[in-house]
Amino acid sequence: MTAKQLTPEIEAWIEQRWSRFPEGAAGKALTLGVLYQAQETFGHVDTEVIDVVAERLGVTPAHVRGVATFYTMINARDVGRYHLQVCTNIGCMLDGAYEMFDRCKARLGVQNKGTTPDGNVTLSEVECLAACGYGPVAQIAERGKPEIPLYFEHLDEKKIDAILDALEAGNVPTELGR
Amino acid sequence: MGENLKIISQHFDDPQARHLDHYETHGGYRMARQSSSMAPGDIHAEVKASNLRGRGGAGFPTGVKWGFVPKDAETVYLVVNADESEPGTFKDRHILYWNPHMLLEGMIIAARSLGVRNAYIYIRGEMQREFCVLQDAVDQAYAKGYLGEGIFGSDFDLDITICRGLGAYICGEETALLSSLEGGRGWPRLKPPFPAVKGLWGQPTIVNNVETIANLPWILEHGGQAFADLGVGRSGGLRLVSVCGHVNKPGVYELPLTVTGNDLIEMCGGMRDGKAVKGVIPGGVSMPVLTADELDVPFEFDALQNDERIREVETSPGVKFDLGGGRTLRTMAGSGGVVVMDETTDITKAAWRILHFFADESCGQCTPCREGTGWLASVAHRVAFGHGRAGDVELMASIADGIAGNTICALGDAAAWPTLAFLTKFRGEFEDKVKNSHDAAPAGAAAGVL
Repeated sequence: MTAKQLTPEIEAWIEQRWSRFPEGAAGKALTLGVLYQAQETFGHVDTEVIDVVAERLGVTPAHVRGVATFYTMINARDVGRYHLQVCTNIGCMLDGAYEMFDRCKARLGVQNKGTTPDGNVTLSEVECLAACGYGPVAQIAERGKPEIPLYFEHLDEKKIDAILDALEAGNVPTELGR
Repeated sequence: MGENLKIISQHFDDPQARHLDHYETHGGYRMARQSSSMAPGDIHAEVKASNLRGRGGAGFPTGVKWGFVPKDAETVYLVVNADESEPGTFKDRHILYWNPHMLLEGMIIAARSLGVRNAYIYIRGEMQREFCVLQDAVDQAYAKGYLGEGIFGSDFDLDITICRGLGAYICGEETALLSSLEGGRGWPRLKPPFPAVKGLWGQPTIVNNVETIANLPWILEHGGQAFADLGVGRSGGLRLVSVCGHVNKPGVYELPLTVTGNDLIEMCGGMRDGKAVKGVIPGGVSMPVLTADELDVPFEFDALQNDERIREVETSPGVKFDLGGGRTLRTMAGSGGVVVMDETTDITKAAWRILHFFADESCGQCTPCREGTGWLASVAHRVAFGHGRAGDVELMASIADGIAGNTICALGDAAAWPTLAFLTKFRGEFEDKVKNSHDAAPAGAAAGVL
């Protein structure tokens, strides 16, 4: 028996989508979507979450684990309240993304994929966010707030500082994003 | 038709356009409505006549692809590939955000022609903002009776379901996308069988790119021939091109296929700070780079592949890379993602960053790609950052040549081709880096040793 349970919202989502897939295929097909929403609920995806999702969808825990470990948006451990993701791929790199990423590392005192000791911010270097013309670009996700994440474009030192100040103060500077 | 014709981008930057009523006021959904009572073969004939080619990367003729679906198929699926993740490419995100109804209308037209009851949009997980806009557009279309049962009052039923990815570049490869859509790891599958014959849940499935599908309303309204006339040769229509890097006005442009690399840079306000061009990647980072003197060629599918002004990619000086069947490789139009690099760019670092990406994103199924991309990134890194060893340039070429053509999907080629192109066209830069390496080994030593 596990203590964790899928929320009524997730249950409703499953019900609503089940018929969109062929008979016998829905449980597996909904694996990605349920995993992501379960992560929103529990903060990360561990063995217990994997078991809950597998049982609900009628698939094996091995299948769910295989999916959970394949995709970068599923985290095995908690990330900070804010997940600051800086793209350093070619388009952003040509616009100075590594300098921006280094500034984030220095100010937050963490390395790539590190979380500040207070659990406030996790910093990740990510691959192309499909906004190459407006680089350097970062995305900020706030746990439990699916209306975030926003893209932050044309980053410079001033903007990075403003973003980090805001995150430190406990809010996402939505006015700087789009 | 005027020179400044815009098919898809006409409503970019108009926040109203994502509302169904606004889209409809501007002529939207008329073609979807018309298609719901058309004979499927008539729609297919227009698409074939249009010379529309896939805008995701491979440039395969859409009408031909549709023709691969077996005539007696009972269940056919339509899947829209909205997993845009090829570095340098950001056009589909614009369509999803600014013009979602044009995509839905195109899907209705395609579904009608292909006999599809269930269609899916696979959208990148990272595109939260676009997902919300798209879901809202789908909900609006259902509320109006443009999706669901008996759409537009006809006997044609169509459901569209949006499925979100969770962060994996490989899922933009159509068979990996299908694996992911079925709920598994995004692992590519061997072709044949092609998805059009055996795809989603073993049924015939057409996977088309967002931009490809968004062209369909225009094609139906104006006729396939009119679309073909907009293009050149075997490529119809206009094309969305996303430009990034060292130009003054990067962004998404909808342009005729006659536009050359030099035209494109001019349209983007020229080079930033008046610098000279060093290299241009014409179609996403999987595609071989062009040098400044190769930019007079139109950025069009066939021209970029065949124009003799573009140098052929080599595996070593004087030895042409064999694409298979004796064909050589120049470059390709790919995804329309153009990366412009000026004279200050360190090409070795650009190459490393691209290879680092492919090493990160290899799905791990095929050994040449899983191991090879990792080695390529590692050797490229030490070359770029001053720790290159004698023989590293040859080593990179040899690893790349060992990956190319030896993997299930095109990700292996996507890492190998640009590597060989960088080495062919900017060999001196790599060699200089090795020569001036902090770890320069005594002459003759360590060649080929990792």
